[in-house]
Amino acid sequence: MDLKLKIDGSDHLVQAQLIGTTLWVHSKGRTFTVDATSGRRARRKTGGAGTSDVILAPMPGKVIKIFSKIGDPVKAGQAVLVMEAMKMEYTLKSDLDGIIDVISCAVGDQVTLGKHLVKLMPAAKES
Amino acid sequence: MTKFNRIAIANRGEVAVRIIKACEELGIESVLLHSEADIESRAYRMATKTICIGPAATAESYLNIKANINGALAGGAQAIHPGFGFLSENADFAEEVAQAGLIFIGPSSETIRSLGDKVHCKDLAKKAGIPLVPGYQGEDQKISKLIQKAEKIGYPVIVKAAAGGGGRGMKLILNSQDAGELIESAQREALSAFGSSKVFLEKYLDRAKHIEFQVFGDSTGQVIHFFDRECSVQRRHQKIIEEATSPSLTDELRRSMGEAACAIATMGRYKGAGTVEFLLQDNEFYLLEVNTRLQVEHPVTEEVMGIDLVKMQILTAQGEYVHDPKHIRLPRGHSIECRIYAENPFLGGVPSTGLLGQIHWPEGPGRRYEYGFDQGDTITPFYDPMIAKVIVWDENRPRAIQKMLRVLKNSTVFGVHTNIPYLIEILSHKEFVMGTMTTRFIETYFSESLKEPELTDLEKKIAQSALMQLRQQNGVSESSGTASPWSTFWRGV
Repeated sequence: MDLKLKIDGSDHLVQAQLIGTTLWVHSKGRTFTVDATSGRRARRKTGGAGTSDVILAPMPGKVIKIFSKIGDPVKAGQAVLVMEAMKMEYTLKSDLDGIIDVISCAVGDQVTLGKHLVKLMPAAKES
Repeated sequence: MTKFNRIAIANRGEVAVRIIKACEELGIESVLLHSEADIESRAYRMATKTICIGPAATAESYLNIKANINGALAGGAQAIHPGFGFLSENADFAEEVAQAGLIFIGPSSETIRSLGDKVHCKDLAKKAGIPLVPGYQGEDQKISKLIQKAEKIGYPVIVKAAAGGGGRGMKLILNSQDAGELIESAQREALSAFGSSKVFLEKYLDRAKHIEFQVFGDSTGQVIHFFDRECSVQRRHQKIIEEATSPSLTDELRRSMGEAACAIATMGRYKGAGTVEFLLQDNEFYLLEVNTRLQVEHPVTEEVMGIDLVKMQILTAQGEYVHDPKHIRLPRGHSIECRIYAENPFLGGVPSTGLLGQIHWPEGPGRRYEYGFDQGDTITPFYDPMIAKVIVWDENRPRAIQKMLRVLKNSTVFGVHTNIPYLIEILSHKEFVMGTMTTRFIETYFSESLKEPELTDLEKKIAQSALMQLRQQNGVSESSGTASPWSTFWRGV
């Protein structure tokens, strides 16, 4: 809804809405979200940045192909599985060199956002 | 001449809304043929009548020929409008619609077979002397054969669904290492999106522009064109921004490409709206494909030409539309369309689904919004992520870009993330502003996820203060946190 806020003495017209625990704000040409419970920027539910030993579903969708079996070695950047959502295929890749440790999905599964799909055991670092 | 009382719509989302509006203006009732997942949508609320034709999965609803025809018959329609995507370019569908005694709003099944199938279309183009991109269009679809052909054409090579469009079933192969996997993936996508796994290969032009011509065959079979659109801004072969007319064509090129477009459409005995797509590189043009349907980006042509293509399609199907030279004029001003996708631009464009909160499109002169969902509707993972189109018109291209930037900044979509921040970056990019972008524009400048800007101190204060006001209004105390009328519907952001 439209809100008129007084901040440090000046008025700001913004649009804001609380949906679940997320506050959505539109102000000065930009939309942003804030976690309403902590007041911090809304938490990212997917492994967006950094290396990770788990592959999470980056969106709700269907698993349509799994390239590796448990125990298979994988290289960083290697395709591990393919998901389909909104009629497009998305290839999910390994972040690191290692071995497939756990596969917790099967071809044909409809998975939710953030579901653990595959766990990797990182290759031992050479010292 | 057959006058329609009622038209069935074999589609969903914003295009279903577009067709319903054209029907309303012509005094025709509409029957929306929808899946179980599309009850919360504008088209559902707007249609005169609605008939559920199956579950969410497209193969059992929007791609199910029998279910659509039975729905149209049960709804008492005399004609079916297929929109775009789904069954719109399926010749079998057009044929079965006719066999059921209904009228297919689009070209005949023969035209779809000869022009819509990319392989046949290229044979026709060869005969007409229209230049083609080197490629492989054979029947042998074995992976080993396709890899061998790709090697012969020379990488980069593009693999495409023979029966489709819109980026699905289309992959770019850069080297022999990835060829097998990408070809298989394209075949799977082609099968799931269009019901046929047939693909073909084409040399990838690395600095080409995507230019297309809107053609239209009237009830008498006379084909003319309504000038060009440029759609070079594409990601994964899916268009993002389109404009009319192209900033890149000389008068000479515009004339010869327009003639080629009309020539091939005439050869295919074209009736209704169609699009002839070309690639343009170093002032040489090559035929890409013919889309035998209404195009997603048709509004930009409507804006600069002052026409209504959907009404023209319906009138042509009724047998009463004839081109009138008195009313055909040159394009005026400039129009741009941005496709709004439900995706997170800060996470590499992964789809964003869930319950829609507040939606606001800022009204004003020369602005047009085509959208399929409102507050309270749910964006599901089953279909295309495009949830709306924003179209602007202004006197010239720089002004149209300025207007689009303003409009996007003032548009609000809450509940799902959208590509609006990404569109704003693209529209501000020097190469786009100059009009020199090619189909590699996105991969060259926007291959990485956008970096999400940190909240400024002011934004933090705004959020804090907004939260307090909202909670006061809802009568919810600070400590109870999550309670809100929305929370029970909440699915994840």
